Amino acid sequence: MNQRLASLLAEVFGLRQEQIVLTLTKDDVAVWDSLKQMDLVVSLEREFDLVLDIPDIVRMNSVSSIVETLALKGVDLGA
Amino acid sequence: MLILELDQSVALVTGGAKGLGFAIATYLAGKGSKVSVVDLDAEAIAALPPSMDGYVLDVTSRADAKTVVNEIIQRHGRIDILVNNAGVIFSEPFVNIMNPKGMMHDYERFRRSITANLDSVFIMTSSVVEKMVTLRTKGVVVSISSISACGNEGQTAYSAAKAGVNAMTRTWSKELGRMGIRCNAVAPGFIDTPSTRSALNESIIKHIQSNTPLRRLGHAEEVAQAVASVITNDFINGVVLDVNGGLTI
Ligand SMILES: NC(=O)c1ccc[n+]([C@@H]2O[C@H](COP(=O)([O-])OP(=O)(O)OC[C@H]3O[C@@H](n4cnc5c(N)ncnc54)[C@H](O)[C@@H]3O)[C@@H](O)[C@H]2O)c1
Repeated sequence: MNQRLASLLAEVFGLRQEQIVLTLTKDDVAVWDSLKQMDLVVSLEREFDLVLDIPDIVRMNSVSSIVETLALKGVDLGA
Repeated sequence: MLILELDQSVALVTGGAKGLGFAIATYLAGKGSKVSVVDLDAEAIAALPPSMDGYVLDVTSRADAKTVVNEIIQRHGRIDILVNNAGVIFSEPFVNIMNPKGMMHDYERFRRSITANLDSVFIMTSSVVEKMVTLRTKGVVVSISSISACGNEGQTAYSAAKAGVNAMTRTWSKELGRMGIRCNAVAPGFIDTPSTRSALNESIIKHIQSNTPLRRLGHAEEVAQAVASVITNDFINGVVLDVNGGLTI
């Protein structure tokens, strides 16, 4: 897992970095509601200097879908 | 009666068949007050202990509220205490970014929450205060507000309704004080009730507990005690009493 992304997600969701794994989904994180989704969007846009549109935002319901969305936006998260 | 003695009082508790309302009704009945409970839930009304009179009533219905208030007055001669407790906790974000087709807070649900939590307090208070004024009862109105009145994220309608309850309480305390009628509110934080447990999952409850200086949820009896203290202290008027373990939102 990319350290920048893991640390951002840990901060947004109030989790420890080691809890941020690709299989983690919205259903696993009690605080991940539509307000947290806005926090997530703003943090990702700021950290990776990009603009997410509504379909991207709706798609991001797991760590793996966040990684995919960032890849589609041309963000290089390394291996 | 100059000072309101609970053991000589007649009280009406709305939404008193369950949850916080039932705890308040039980506390007042335990101090000797003649307690009438009104509630939408007919089954819970039927299950009330014999120490309380129960009436099935939707407190958002003006006509039915007047009828039930008249019945209670006929039975007991007056109402000294009105506790406006009936309410429905409601959460919906103003913007739901995950639902692009219906992104904004639904207006009908906004109206329904305002009716349930704000209009209800207006309707019951006006029905009861009319009788207090006519019968020259130096009574007291206590409305159950909420910590959300400060503006709680995800609760536009509920927060607005409870802030409205606080504003009506202060307004009425000024208007009615000259007739010896006092109006106060009690604003609970997070209380350990079935409604809190069903509205919030375990990890959110843990989060709330760790942010509360007292590190726990409140007990329903602690809200009931606060209600009783603003009733019995004859110089408390226009106050919104926080019962939240020191939590701020
Ligand atoms: N539980 C909490 O932590 C908490 C915190 C802050 C404020 N409050 C407030 O305390 C009050 C009681 O909450 P609770 O947690 O006990 O809820 P609850 O749902 O357990 O009880 C509410 C009662 O009110 C009744 N009711 C609802 N709408 C009604 C209507 N239109 N007419 C008649 N009866 C009606 C219900 O049938 C129920 O018996 C509410 O006003 C709520 O906003 C609760």
